[in-house]
Amino acid sequence: MSGMLIQCQDVWKSYGSRPALRGLNLQLESGRIVGLLGPNGSGKTTLIKILNGLLTADNGIVLVDGAEPGVYTKSIISYLPDKPYFAGWMKVRDLFDLFEDFYMDFDREKAEHMCKALQIDEKLRMKTLSKGTKEKVQLVLAMSRRAKLYLLDEPIAGVDPAARDYILSTILNNYNPEGTVLISTHLISDVERVLDEVLFIQNGQIIRQELVDDIREKEGRSVDELFREVFRTVPFGGGEW
Amino acid sequence: MLGKLMKYDMKSMSRAFIPMWILAPVISLLLSFSIRGVVEWANSPMMGWIVNAGNSILMVIMILLFMAVLIGLLVMTIMFVIQRFWNGLLKEEGYLMFTLPVKVWELIVSKALTATLVASVSIVVGIFSGMILAVFSTSDVVYIFAYIWKNFLDSFVELGPVFWINLLLFIIMMILGTAGSIYHVYAAMSLGHLFATHKVVGSCLSYIGISIITSVVENIIGAVMGYVLPDINYYGMSWGLMEAMSSLYLLYMIAAAVLQIVILHIITERILSKKLNLE
Repeated sequence: MSGMLIQCQDVWKSYGSRPALRGLNLQLESGRIVGLLGPNGSGKTTLIKILNGLLTADNGIVLVDGAEPGVYTKSIISYLPDKPYFAGWMKVRDLFDLFEDFYMDFDREKAEHMCKALQIDEKLRMKTLSKGTKEKVQLVLAMSRRAKLYLLDEPIAGVDPAARDYILSTILNNYNPEGTVLISTHLISDVERVLDEVLFIQNGQIIRQELVDDIREKEGRSVDELFREVFRTVPFGGGEW
Repeated sequence: MLGKLMKYDMKSMSRAFIPMWILAPVISLLLSFSIRGVVEWANSPMMGWIVNAGNSILMVIMILLFMAVLIGLLVMTIMFVIQRFWNGLLKEEGYLMFTLPVKVWELIVSKALTATLVASVSIVVGIFSGMILAVFSTSDVVYIFAYIWKNFLDSFVELGPVFWINLLLFIIMMILGTAGSIYHVYAAMSLGHLFATHKVVGSCLSYIGISIITSVVENIIGAVMGYVLPDINYYGMSWGLMEAMSSLYLLYMIAAAVLQIVILHIITERILSKKLNLE
């Protein structure tokens, strides 16, 4: 084992004839907060789902903490999906029971504490909760684990700017400092301040991997500015305006 | 881990089914009383026809209600089998289930055991409700129970051990057959999951495909068995031979069901392990 938390080598994935990942390569160390940045359809969600085992790669090597996706990797990955994933009949409390049953690293007290802070009633059924509250419950579940790898898929896309700050500070205050947090998003200016490292993903390939401090020092600009330049599309009709 | 998974599958099942399991026999009991009422009214010339008509309407309502409960039970069971697998593993809920640190076979077996239990209990409740209806609506309840009990004890001795072994084999065959049908649905949905688009159509086609393959294999084995097994006509019919043949046939059916379950489980497990695509 090389000490890398995530190792992806020449990973390919297509949906039918539509390629989503084209020979993606990636190595990521432990102990940092990483932004997975790219435009819509660039392969962010596909990469995350391959790492956590919800998708199987067509080709290539995927290792998380030295192991292929399986029971072990699932026990060390805390996943925040981009949509609600629970049965409507379940109460918030039932989900806590479930996490407590299956994940050794789940801290129930922390989860209950976060629920109180967010004013979420644990006795409510999931189907009665609003979309935003459901997302908050999922965030509580994901961040109450002491995982080695947090995969957060668009954690702030669906909420208002005030809630964004809360969510980001929740992530910052609760993640396991020895673990790595991978946050996928296209809302860069909001997350920039919390990131140690960024991955730019385009057309199913990692096109740049840099430390945020390096970008600021070497290029003298913010991640957001760099992102706009790298992913600049020519307006329809071409030309300047 | 399998036990923990089953705890959650059982929980999601019990909410929907326990009320139906209680409702079916209760309604059949009420129905049997109203049938008896009609029969008794009809037999007494003192009673006016209006009362009788009122009771008839009540009986019709009860019959409809009883049928509705039985059909409801059947539809709910089938829906439960399909939906708990489709929604529970292959749609959004699958995000939760497939990121739990458990093996894929545990997820499938947990669903299959729960579904077999639900289907078996539903069948028993259906039969039990029918028996209640038959017994309570016809004649004197106490007399019938006494009669059944007496004959049960008598027949236990009279029919001999092979009959009871066959009955046990029959029950095992029914349960395994139910599990086989459930795995048939699971394998079909897993195969449908491999389709890039039109997964539901793919599942239906897979279901038909598995049915065809199963019946072809059954026919081939049946033809072979026909040659291998002794010819009853040659030996002449006797109770002992009939029983022995039944035992053999039941054992064959049990073996076939086990084989079907194993093959369909392997298909389902391989697909969900190697080709999972929760887009």
